[in-house]
Amino acid sequence: MDVHDLAYALNQVVHNFGAVAATAGAATARWSQPPDAVRPRRRLAWLVLSGWAAQAASGATFGAISYITFGRLPDIHGIAVAALLLKVACAVAGFSLSALYLLRESVWEQAGRRRAWTALVAFAATALCAAAFLRWFS
Amino acid sequence: MNVLKSAAVVAALGFCGAAYSVDGSVTISSPAEGAKVGLSGVKIDYDVVPGPKGDHVHVYVDGEQAGLLRQLKGSYTVDKLTAGKHTLCVRVVDKGHTPVGLEKCVQVVAGNVPAMGY
Repeated sequence: MDVHDLAYALNQVVHNFGAVAATAGAATARWSQPPDAVRPRRRLAWLVLSGWAAQAASGATFGAISYITFGRLPDIHGIAVAALLLKVACAVAGFSLSALYLLRESVWEQAGRRRAWTALVAFAATALCAAAFLRWFS
Repeated sequence: MNVLKSAAVVAALGFCGAAYSVDGSVTISSPAEGAKVGLSGVKIDYDVVPGPKGDHVHVYVDGEQAGLLRQLKGSYTVDKLTAGKHTLCVRVVDKGHTPVGLEKCVQVVAGNVPAMGY
């Protein structure tokens, strides 16, 4: 088994679970929790925050594995670069908003909290779509 | 003790060699180095042995990626070239699109190539 492929695969596992946590956590909080479920939503916000952190860290690790192995970063262009930038933007936005939610949700209106979860679902869905384009247009 | 030190140095050098060695090759059979080519439909014939870490190839025109090829032997047609010198490269990359260090480039001169025959 090639160590370099193993490193990519293990990192991909972290990346995939990060995507699941960010997407499912936000969708569950948005649609499957009663309006007064404050504590479950905070737990989901932590899950979403960890998901985005895992996404960002494992995304950077893909580049690091390439650089350590070959002294070069992946050679992508065009649509793939746009998709990567979109994923990075979603990760920054998703991480920031879930952190903000944990800090400020107690002073937000119900509608504001709902908007935050809707936005988190949208960031996650956008990142998933961008990932598909990054994969197949590289 | 010296034997042990020597063995350690040899092992370390061997490890470095294994880490950085690149097995494989890239051949561009056409166009030849310095060839005069037309301004469109320039066909690159290539043959790649990807080595243990290589997966597929990227084609570059003047350093810009022009194509991604999964076939390790075949041809790629560059649609358009401006008149003048150009560098055409075929580079082996891994599954994550990182260049593994195997590549072949040829320089060509693009211009209006007269039609064959009279």
